[in-house]
Amino acid sequence: MVATRFIGWLRKYEKWFGLTATVLISAGLYTGLVTSSPDYYQGEVVRIMYVHVPFAQTAMLAYSTLFLCSIWYLWKKEAVVDNACHAAAGLSLFFTAGGLITGSIWGKPTWNAWWVWDPRLTSFAIMFLTLVGYLMLRTFLDDKEKKATFSAILAIIGFVDLPIIHFSVEWWRSLHQPLSVSNRGVSIAPDMLVPFTLMSIGVGILFSYMLMVRTQMLYLEHLLEAKQGRLLNEGQL
Amino acid sequence: MRDNCEEKARNTLESRQGCLVKRFYLRWMILMTIFGSISILGAVRYFQEVRTISPKTLLSIQPKETVRLMGMIDAGSFMKATENEPFRFDLSGEGGKVAVTYTGEDPDGLLRELKTIVVIGNWESGDGEFQAKEIALVPNYGFITSAYIFSLVPLAFFLFYMERRVALLYVMIKDEKVYQPETGQ
Repeated sequence: MVATRFIGWLRKYEKWFGLTATVLISAGLYTGLVTSSPDYYQGEVVRIMYVHVPFAQTAMLAYSTLFLCSIWYLWKKEAVVDNACHAAAGLSLFFTAGGLITGSIWGKPTWNAWWVWDPRLTSFAIMFLTLVGYLMLRTFLDDKEKKATFSAILAIIGFVDLPIIHFSVEWWRSLHQPLSVSNRGVSIAPDMLVPFTLMSIGVGILFSYMLMVRTQMLYLEHLLEAKQGRLLNEGQL
Repeated sequence: MRDNCEEKARNTLESRQGCLVKRFYLRWMILMTIFGSISILGAVRYFQEVRTISPKTLLSIQPKETVRLMGMIDAGSFMKATENEPFRFDLSGEGGKVAVTYTGEDPDGLLRELKTIVVIGNWESGDGEFQAKEIALVPNYGFITSAYIFSLVPLAFFLFYMERRVALLYVMIKDEKVYQPETGQ
């Protein structure tokens, strides 16, 4: 009953997340691509920031969600929580790939290289590989409970990479620029801060919406699979 | 939304599934219209404020209005500004070559031989010189467009697939009478 109540709640509130994300991302794209000024040093190419940084931040938010979700699963052992973890992992992989691709495209005109073995880029690539490993592990195991438990443990171990990603630009000399928004202040011009903030919050809320949709998708797929399995056993299909 | 579709299905010949699918596609059409309009506005801004022409195009169209000319400063052609003289250099690109004069500051040492830059100014056909009023960085708009396409288009497809799958799963499960949500009714 917990699962049906949880799915009912997701279904009831998801549209508000979707609507808010649409409004924020539309405003962010409009200000980012149409009204904001080019950067003094980078010129027009700075506009890649409005999609690269929100994707990278959301990838980390998604992994943090996966981490918390995995702890929750190991504690409560609810199947629907495992669906949410699985959904968060898929979305985190998607946003990590997006962050790496847009970063690579931004790197070429600014660093004259598609890829460098910089601490920030390398630790981000490790997160990508961890997520690929997580999803592969889920594919290889048949037993549902083992699958959920082992993948949750892997996700918790992989979380150690997140502080490394975040602080890599502080701990090592890096080609990647340091944090633009930190406790030292904000080092982005107000003109650029508006689309940057709109896109960052918008993509974050879009992730929440996608998580709600994907969790429902995985839950319903399992439900349908269970039902059809039952029908097969009963010789009805 | 679900209740309205059920009610509509009861009162008309339209099926509940048909009603849900119609709404789903309508929502995506509205979304595509919003993001398509923003893309058009971005493209308009690019053509009005960012697009550059090459020296070869400049020589062939001989524009009267202010244009943005992009090219590489030829080796051996660069002459630094003095008190009375402006910067002088030849800018070449796509097989064309144009003599440029620029009066003003050199922003961050951008002006040097073999550097590709954008000069903003007017073509003086009488003097056979391009008089630049401003120097700008190469826009590299292809990279910007690629970054947006490679991130937002897969995002849209991914979301479209998931939403469609969920809508279909609810219909399939409802038909199988497996799931009855407790809330949101």
